[in-house]
Amino acid sequence: MSGKKNSRASLRNISKAQVLMILGFGFIVVAAVILVSSLAIRKTDEVLKNKVISLTSSLNVQMKLNMDSYLSRMETIATLAFGESEAYTYDATDPNNDEYEAINTEKKISERLFSLCIMENFVDYGIVYRNNRTVGKISNGTSTLFGDKIFSELSSMISRPRTNDGWSTGYGNNFKRIYYVKKVHENAVLFISFYASELDAVFDNPETLSDMDIRLVNQDKNIIYSKNTEELGSPLPTEISSRIEGKISASVLDNEYLVSLDSCGGWFVVCSIPTPIILNEKNEMTTYIYFTAGVAAFLAVLVALLLSYRIISPIRKTVSSLDDKARIDLLTGILNKRSFEEYAGNCLANSLESERHALIILDIDNFKGVNDTLGHAYGDKVLEKTGEILRSTFSDDDYLGRIGGDEFCILVNTRFDSSDKFDAFLLEKCKELSSAYHEYYSGRDGDYKISASMGVALWPDNGRSFEEMYSACDSALYRSKKSGRDTFTFYDANTESEGTENE
Amino acid sequence: MNRFSKLIALALSAVMLLLSGCTEDPVVRKQTNQVQITLSWWGNDSRNEYTIAAVQRFEKLHPEIKVKCSYSEWSGYEARSQVQMISGTEADVMQINVGWLAKYSPDGNGYYDLEKLADTVDLSNFSSEMLDYGRRNGVLNAIPIAMNAETVYINKSVYDSFGVSVPQTWDDLFRAADVFRKHGIFALAGASKSIWLYCIAYAEQQTGKTFFTDNGEINFSAGEFKVMIEFYDRLVKEKVIPKVEDFQRFNIDNGAYAGVVAWVSDALNYYKGVIEKGSEIIAAGYTADDPSKAGSGWYAKPATLYALSRNTEHPKEAAMLLDFMLNSTEWAELQGVEKGIPLSASVRKYLDETGKLSGLQYEASQVMENNKLIRPMNSVIEDSALYETFIDACDLVLFNKATADEAASQLCKTYAEKYKMRQDSAS
Repeated sequence: MSGKKNSRASLRNISKAQVLMILGFGFIVVAAVILVSSLAIRKTDEVLKNKVISLTSSLNVQMKLNMDSYLSRMETIATLAFGESEAYTYDATDPNNDEYEAINTEKKISERLFSLCIMENFVDYGIVYRNNRTVGKISNGTSTLFGDKIFSELSSMISRPRTNDGWSTGYGNNFKRIYYVKKVHENAVLFISFYASELDAVFDNPETLSDMDIRLVNQDKNIIYSKNTEELGSPLPTEISSRIEGKISASVLDNEYLVSLDSCGGWFVVCSIPTPIILNEKNEMTTYIYFTAGVAAFLAVLVALLLSYRIISPIRKTVSSLDDKARIDLLTGILNKRSFEEYAGNCLANSLESERHALIILDIDNFKGVNDTLGHAYGDKVLEKTGEILRSTFSDDDYLGRIGGDEFCILVNTRFDSSDKFDAFLLEKCKELSSAYHEYYSGRDGDYKISASMGVALWPDNGRSFEEMYSACDSALYRSKKSGRDTFTFYDANTESEGTENE
Repeated sequence: MNRFSKLIALALSAVMLLLSGCTEDPVVRKQTNQVQITLSWWGNDSRNEYTIAAVQRFEKLHPEIKVKCSYSEWSGYEARSQVQMISGTEADVMQINVGWLAKYSPDGNGYYDLEKLADTVDLSNFSSEMLDYGRRNGVLNAIPIAMNAETVYINKSVYDSFGVSVPQTWDDLFRAADVFRKHGIFALAGASKSIWLYCIAYAEQQTGKTFFTDNGEINFSAGEFKVMIEFYDRLVKEKVIPKVEDFQRFNIDNGAYAGVVAWVSDALNYYKGVIEKGSEIIAAGYTADDPSKAGSGWYAKPATLYALSRNTEHPKEAAMLLDFMLNSTEWAELQGVEKGIPLSASVRKYLDETGKLSGLQYEASQVMENNKLIRPMNSVIEDSALYETFIDACDLVLFNKATADEAASQLCKTYAEKYKMRQDSAS
């Protein structure tokens, strides 16, 4: 194996750290986005609901004020009748009345009443006496509805003792008319009436709240006014009334309905709208926030990737460089002594006895002579060339190392299914190495011969640890040197003299 | 600048661009710009209710138009219209009485020229003869809705229960009263204007003179007014009718009034409830000395007309509403024959096809249309001051404050102050 293999392992660790960093950052960003989005949605929801309920409440108050103002105006017009003295002094039931005078008085009162209501859409505006005689404008509908009970029935509508007046509707189950009745004296009541549809102008809600139902209900929560005239007289729908039960003035918002209630005299103005309609924008806003948060998270992760790349890239280069410097012999490009011993030692320590490895020590013969004769620069070239020869001879599975000035070591890991084949392979490699030196030399000056001596030890026959293997290998090298150099020797523990061959 | 720096610069530019796009623009919400027009009419409850409902139909069909309604019963409306016409605050679309054309548009410029809006209002549904009722000085100021006339309605169930035949002549009427009197029932009743016109019919038949000359002057003199006053005095004293001041609507329902003089257009207004209770009501012939002369002294007029304000700011929208009121089946479905038998050919066809040309109101219309002696009404005859003054004069006699001669003479002088009278009539 070359140094690249170890370098890759180191870089893989950095890559793992990078991935962990990105994942961690991504997780934090996504968690933060979810948290912020949730808080934003919650806060938005809260603010929106408060605003909506506040606006609805304001609308309800405005409707109540409109209604108060309208009723007040009606009462004022009715009360102006008292500006004509005959209106409150004349009694049509008085048996002492002169009939002719009575007719003229009634004409005078009628004219006064006409002049007061001339611009109003009143259905009725008149005075009714205990004998059911009427003065002023009394509609056919009212005459038909009350018949000869008109005085007693109208009198019963007076509900406010202080002002001796009252508002009423629903007489004879007719909710199309609204009555205002005021006592004139013991035998007369003044009354006005108008169609409930007149309240359209009072309860004309803004276009933006066109889905809002506005109703006027009485004490029993029966509907007095609604744009949907079909529900006049009906009880307020349960889903509305249940939310304002026992309340006089309140606004209630839950997941189904927004209901606002305000009292208006003896009646109540009720505004209601289904929550999903009034808060329709909330869902859109939630979607918008989630979408924005998603985009933000994506961008954040993208930026994180970019930044991590920018941060990790030089680190990777630096680490790779330092790692190489620490492991690699710079001159030859193969492992230095410490790294080789570490890797080879670990490899052998983790190997089974069934596996096949071989340790080769190569020593350049008479390298001092090369330096002295050809110079140190050329010596370095020879060492450099040795690195090339080793890399070209062995595969990436094999460990190559420079363990001394001119001493190299190879742990052969190439797999074979039989010892014979492995031995033959080793023999072949040793020959290739020797030939390589010969060829290298032959192309040069010719005045100096360069060769190498090698010792070979086999796992596990010649040793069961790196140290044992190295020792056996060293012995074999010694024998090669001893036998005249430029040769290789397989270690033989028994004979220590056998297996030496010359090229 | 290396690639990374370029990328950062690009990202920052994008963010700046995004932020610049997020600057707070003013929030603008467009509101539907509705054109508001006003509609005014007079009428009773049923007319008010169906008109309001019909207006809602129109608004639904034309959501860009809002119609503000103004309504009242007749006398209040008359006074209100006068105030509005004089002050220039009249409604865009108005129900008007035929007499107001002369009063407010003597030269034809008092109301909008409807022929300028002929592309919106379908005038082809009306005969030129009918449209002439709405012309002043050649200008089409108004379009008539239906024809109308005072009619004698008889509760035949009450008459039959007392074995009294339906009165055809004045004498029949007094004979009927002789039977009803002791039972507290009036043979006939009516509001001021109806009784006023009833007395005119009697006087014209008795004297042979028409109330107006062909030139529109009051043709009656003190002598004819005396006939009217004495007739009213007799009607009240013999309890044929209640005093007009005592006329109570609910007495029609309870049978205390066995008959009523009222407009064709008021038939259902007065009798709908009575008919629903099972009583038989008929439109009798016009009372006369001789049944063959029925209709003499009686008058017909356009029931009501529709006009547009000459000052309207929205003639197009007002015309749309006008056409809807005159010619649409949506409006006709609700209106039916409440205002009389509509003159619009398309509406009349629709009502005929849907079986709505029937009932008491239709019968009353038929009595009017089939009568050959009834004449077009001079609208001045409906002036409230005219008949209120007459009732005042009658009351003087009724309560022994003056003789019939004195009251008639005084009435003549009062009229002469305000109305054009034939030269020898005023004396």
